[in-house]
Amino acid sequence: MEGFASALTLSNLGFGLLGTFLGTLVGVLPGIGPALAIALLLPITYTVSPASALIMFAAIYYGAMYGGSTTSILLNTPGESGSVITALEGNKMARRGQAGAALATAAIGSFVAGTIATGILAFTAPSIADLAIKVGAAEYVALMLVAFTTVSSLLGASQLRGFIALSIGLVLGLVGADLQSGLSRLTFGSDAALEGIETVPVIVSIFALGEALYIASRFKDEGWKVISIKGKALMSREDWKRSWKPWIRGTFLGFPLGVVPAGGSEVPTFLSYSIEKKLTKHPEEFGHGAIEGVAGPEAANNANAAGALVPLLALGLPTSATAAVILVAFQTYQIQPGPTLFLTNGALIWTLIASLFIGNALLLVLNLPLVRFWVKLLHVPRPYLFAGIVTFALLGAYAINTSVFDVQVAIAIGLVGFLFRRFGMPITPLILGLILGPNLELQFRRALQISAGDYSTLWASPLSKILYAVLILALFTPIIARVMKKIRKDVIA
Amino acid sequence: MKLPQGGKSELTFVGSLFLLGSLVFWDTWRTELPAFNLTISPKVFPYAIATLLMVLSALLMVAILRGDVATPEGAEPGQPIHKTDMKIFGIVIGSLLSFLLLIERAGFIIAASITFFGITVAFGNKNHARAGIFGTLFITVVYLSFTRFLNVQLPAGIFKGL
Repeated sequence: MEGFASALTLSNLGFGLLGTFLGTLVGVLPGIGPALAIALLLPITYTVSPASALIMFAAIYYGAMYGGSTTSILLNTPGESGSVITALEGNKMARRGQAGAALATAAIGSFVAGTIATGILAFTAPSIADLAIKVGAAEYVALMLVAFTTVSSLLGASQLRGFIALSIGLVLGLVGADLQSGLSRLTFGSDAALEGIETVPVIVSIFALGEALYIASRFKDEGWKVISIKGKALMSREDWKRSWKPWIRGTFLGFPLGVVPAGGSEVPTFLSYSIEKKLTKHPEEFGHGAIEGVAGPEAANNANAAGALVPLLALGLPTSATAAVILVAFQTYQIQPGPTLFLTNGALIWTLIASLFIGNALLLVLNLPLVRFWVKLLHVPRPYLFAGIVTFALLGAYAINTSVFDVQVAIAIGLVGFLFRRFGMPITPLILGLILGPNLELQFRRALQISAGDYSTLWASPLSKILYAVLILALFTPIIARVMKKIRKDVIA
Repeated sequence: MKLPQGGKSELTFVGSLFLLGSLVFWDTWRTELPAFNLTISPKVFPYAIATLLMVLSALLMVAILRGDVATPEGAEPGQPIHKTDMKIFGIVIGSLLSFLLLIERAGFIIAASITFFGITVAFGNKNHARAGIFGTLFITVVYLSFTRFLNVQLPAGIFKGL
């Protein structure tokens, strides 16, 4: 309740409104997913107080998610893997002249899922944090290794490429002076590099600059076709009847899969889609614009995002690119997520959770009536759009320390982003490696210092043993799945 | 042996990742440890990561040689792979570098306006006069709102004192 009180002051509500507006504005721009939208808007939150920044930030977060689904439905360009399914059915609905209903079921479904999921978050995160306080350094090492493995091996088509992306992120995380010994690593004599590599410019550049280089030089002739919406963003009684169950099912599918590191929103949205396809009374509509196929996955996506906040807040462990950006944002507000956060900064957490509720509600009130305005944004010519994104990315890189070094890093990372796209390497593992790598090393050393260098401490406790079993499972699941597929194919052939 | 399309360039890319791994290894090896004793040397992690990267890129190179060529983002497996348009690639890189070179010398407005213009050219915009004018106006508005309202300091450059 105190959280609501501090979130509901007039100026904080103002920041919330501004955040919703900006978040949707950037999220709706084609090619910008929530992770990039949040990272691009981070510099704006630097100068306000932590509480206001958090509120603005929560609003940006939900705004960006909502904006992304609008783009997927009307333009068929999903900005992240979680919206791929929304684009599948939503775009078909829009083509059939039902854009309004598709947008409405996405927005209301996101609201329902977001509200329920934030409620569960509010109840579960503190108790998980209570448990997490008992987790020692060795278990942390195991936990992070599990997160690395699941994200690298479940995302994208190739496990090997996922792990290479992770290793490059780990290399980037090494740069700078070692915290314990002061030993400078991979700095090659540069003083600016001693401070390490800033994570925000890396995230922004790998998405924004990488995308600009990639799209400009490889897809220059392809334009976009925006579908105009007829009528209002409203749902008929029939639409409501067909939507509410998928919303609920999507929520309860998305949330738990966000809590465990299962490789982001790809899995729950796909699962929700296939469940709705099985349960629907209108199977013939699937593939041609079925409203259940938008309602379920969209709810799953949003609930998944809220679920990812549980390990993030309770353990300091991000499990998706978006969660990684949020972790970085917290660190810039001098907040270190993790089990102690609930003890040291309890008030702030409740403010955040309250702002998530408020941001979610503001979004619904603000965006359904404004949908025509957002649609206009889709008509921004591509050259101007990318020019704006690129200059903002460079501005953000420079402004973080007012240093040219960060701009150099940003451009180099932009090139890496281009190469990753060209050679089919997933980007999320790189970001996780960069952010969690230094943390992993810290916990690893802490564990071994306690045990005076005895490595068996790493797998001594039952929890660690369970975690390593999960790790091995995650490592071999894709391989087993591939072998099974092959066997099945051979049997049929 | 004949490689599938795109195999050669991917081999070069993955080969350079192998070199990156060796670079990390070499840099770790050549630095001297501080005199005091630590339970776990600050070299353990770099060595481990370097080895991981080298082993994985070697494995991927073998996989590529066996025909497992990457699918570029946005393309379907098995489709012919587009060639990168190096001229446009160069324009984008040039626009990025001009920001880097000009930001502290000429100030944010000039540096960012040039970058903005360069990117519109790279994305095939034909009306250069309009892009130039709009870009400069847009950048000026961004500059003023960041410096005046958000207290984010950006170099004024030649407009200093205005």
